Amino acid sequence: MVFRIGSAEGFYGDNVLSALPMIRGGHVDAICFEALAELTLAILQKDRMKDPSRGYTFDIDLIARKVLPEAFARKIPLITNGGGLNPQGAGEKVRQIAEQLGLTGCKIAVVSGDNVLDRLDDLQAAGEPLANLDTGQPVTEAQNQFWVTGNVYLGAAPIVEALQSGADMVITGRVADPCLYLAPLVAHYGWGWDEWDKLASGIVAGHLLECTGQVVGGNSLASINHIAGTDMHNLGYPIAEVEPDGSFVLTKTPGMNGHVTPETVKEQLLYEVHDPGNYITPDVVANFTTLRLAHIGKDRVAVSGVTGKPRPEKLKLNLNRLEGYSRELIYTIGWPEAWRKFEQMKGMMHAAWEGLPIQRIAYSFLGVNSLYGSVADLPDDPLELIVRVMFTAPDADTLKTAVRRLMNDGLSGPAGLGISGTTIGQDARPIIGLWPTLVGRDKVTPCVEYYEV
Amino acid sequence: MPKRLYDLAYGRAGDKGNIANISVIARTPAAYRDIKAHLTAERVKTHLGDLVQGEVVRYEMDNIEALNFVCYEALDGGGTRSLRIDGLGKALAGALLAMEWESA
Repeated sequence: MVFRIGSAEGFYGDNVLSALPMIRGGHVDAICFEALAELTLAILQKDRMKDPSRGYTFDIDLIARKVLPEAFARKIPLITNGGGLNPQGAGEKVRQIAEQLGLTGCKIAVVSGDNVLDRLDDLQAAGEPLANLDTGQPVTEAQNQFWVTGNVYLGAAPIVEALQSGADMVITGRVADPCLYLAPLVAHYGWGWDEWDKLASGIVAGHLLECTGQVVGGNSLASINHIAGTDMHNLGYPIAEVEPDGSFVLTKTPGMNGHVTPETVKEQLLYEVHDPGNYITPDVVANFTTLRLAHIGKDRVAVSGVTGKPRPEKLKLNLNRLEGYSRELIYTIGWPEAWRKFEQMKGMMHAAWEGLPIQRIAYSFLGVNSLYGSVADLPDDPLELIVRVMFTAPDADTLKTAVRRLMNDGLSGPAGLGISGTTIGQDARPIIGLWPTLVGRDKVTPCVEYYEV
Repeated sequence: MPKRLYDLAYGRAGDKGNIANISVIARTPAAYRDIKAHLTAERVKTHLGDLVQGEVVRYEMDNIEALNFVCYEALDGGGTRSLRIDGLGKALAGALLAMEWESA
């Protein structure tokens, strides 16, 4: 008997109701919802600053109202890291909804312990340098320390504990994406925490599942001639059918759009991966270079031969900090002498901004080089130039002043210059800078609590 | 029309902070031999020009006939720091696959 895991969310805002056809069709034994991209916690922090009872994804309300009743009735556990910065708040909210819906006996588990924002000084005092993983810079030398979020990537263990205690829904903060999917496998099969090949295989299954549509034909260059635009809206989200030894078949929700082929699996396998021989997660280091793919049927790709190595000593910790603000303005320039007019526009801007603490300015030409930079050739005598100007400052007021000063030049600028009205009216956008670092495993204690109806 | 890398391969870009990775997945075994022999990290770095400020590291996956290029300092700071319209580098695979290609 295989154990089947469905994936119904790949980012905050994804179509979580994709879980319903999985449940109604009897296609899955557990469903995971992965909601946290690198920036998502910073977005949730903004919500929480406005309302301390929030800080978790709004998707959780929808999952509780629409998916939980049907999943609970069939004893299919739901697992999500959409608790974000406030998994307890999310747990309480779900408990209330479950109570309103009369789901008597429903057990909600909350996993926390990932949030170390209040402990950064203590961690340093305890010998954690919190050096930037990309640059090596010690945290003490960070230019500013306005930390907005600080969350450690937890592994699967606390979720396994919750599932083995009979939880119907598990809500966590920052758990590493593929570990969400590994957890129900470990809970079901009882894999040991040193069975590295099995754990690694579960991680590969999780990695293939965690971006939902991306393995069933979404964001897929290989699928460009096989998926109609009208079919993209309603892709059948992926399911892994996992054997006791960890090998699995990747497939999708039957009767819905999309497809699973060796090509879609290869695309997702390498998505956001660095060294494929050493894919580091809190629970195991997975080696993708030993695996084999086999196309065993329509929408069925078998994955076997994954190997694993012992888990890392340290856990990843992502700190986010407020680094300043940015604004965007979009100007339109037409023929003749578009490049000359662009130079005039630039000159006008620099003069207008003299004395203001503007930090960075970037110009790009939409439709010409805004995506591909110097890979793109610039035309000699363009008919149109759409100039996107991005600029930053330490504070939002400076950016407001900068825009106002430019408006003064509205009738004094280059011939035929236009500006996009929507960009003038925008608010400044906070620049949230990521500081990736590591922290000792012994400094982090995951916690599991239960909320029962 | 000159031949492009896209004729031999497809791929996808992903982001982690300021690091982008671009997979280049061969369409045929012959195409894999060709790109494995000739699509070096240096060549990728040169082609991507000002998009990638840091180094490019290449990984090989013979088992799925694919290469993976990890490009450091490739997203103008990454996340909301990036002033690019495509701050997550979603289109970067296309930038690489546009490379003109002459098969050996």
